[in-house]
Amino acid sequence: MGHWASYFAGHPFRVFVHCGQTLALAHYIFNYQYSVGWGYGPSMLPTFLVDGDILIFDKHHRRGRDVQVGDCVSYHIPVSPDEDGVKRVIGMPGDYVLMNSPGATSDRMLQVPKGHCYLVGDNLPWSRDSRDFGPLPLALIKGKAIAKGQMVGWNPWKWFEPLPNGLTSDDSS
Amino acid sequence: MRPTWAHFAKKPSFLPTKSKWFQFRSNPRVRGLGQFGWYAFVFASWLPVVVMANDNFFEITRINGSSMYPLFNPDKDRSLTLDRVWTWKYNAQNKLARGMVVIFWSPFNPEGSVVKRVVGLPGDVIRTKPPYPVATVQVPPGHVWVEGDGDATQDSNTYGPIATGLIVGKVTHIVWPPHRFGRVKWEEYAKKLKYSS
Repeated sequence: MGHWASYFAGHPFRVFVHCGQTLALAHYIFNYQYSVGWGYGPSMLPTFLVDGDILIFDKHHRRGRDVQVGDCVSYHIPVSPDEDGVKRVIGMPGDYVLMNSPGATSDRMLQVPKGHCYLVGDNLPWSRDSRDFGPLPLALIKGKAIAKGQMVGWNPWKWFEPLPNGLTSDDSS
Repeated sequence: MRPTWAHFAKKPSFLPTKSKWFQFRSNPRVRGLGQFGWYAFVFASWLPVVVMANDNFFEITRINGSSMYPLFNPDKDRSLTLDRVWTWKYNAQNKLARGMVVIFWSPFNPEGSVVKRVVGLPGDVIRTKPPYPVATVQVPPGHVWVEGDGDATQDSNTYGPIATGLIVGKVTHIVWPPHRFGRVKWEEYAKKLKYSS
């Protein structure tokens, strides 16, 4: 006696309760702390591959908490429920953003309404984003992508690289 | 037998009984602290269960404001008590129907949630009310049109159709005050909706 296995052996109710508690702990970690996701699709191409990239999301940024322009966020796609997407934030409430791609037929701008943000994929011609469904409510944001990588090699510390904020100053003009 | 940390560790037979660490652990006060730590651990182990139940299955929510008057807070001018409702959260974003009372994250304030009634489903053409800029609007896919029952309400007529992803739960019962305890009969409202073809 005294060994941990004897606490569970022959006690199916204890096993059931502790499995439930472990499940709930996993729910808490994946929804409120950090989670892992697989991104696919060409919409974020220079940043993420079409397939095979593993992303780590910081769920402390859920519902747009402390999200800044240039961050990659995962969000609930408003026009297709049950599906999540990853895009880059280019406008926060109050910012003025281009409604269409640069150089498109119209150069109209829009002020992002309060409680919303404007999302665009890095691969402009192949992305479904706020240019199609409009400003996204911040409450639909699930988390912020903080690292990307692939399980290549033997050293787990080399699998992932941090994903910095993509906002850069434009010195070309 | 009452479970303690001792269940999860073998007897420390390999530790010399005269060691400083063993004497420290043998101190009755420290052992009492260990007992307290065990109870604190047991208490903390149930917190994620509460969080998961409130996120995925049910929650008792307090209703502030008069936007759903007279369904919720009908005594708002006579009483300071606020209604408590039972919110069912499993599969809340699916199988929505006209007339259901739902709780969702406010599109204008991502930290606040509001309760409104589903009036239009994807594809429906809605005759809007004053603050909305156009007279009729078709609800886009993945969205619903929500309106409050009361007069003082900020609803889809202000911010447009909301994405179903914002919905966190369906209100099924009033649980407080006790004299109005009962099921929310949302389907009666659905029958009263005016349709035109």
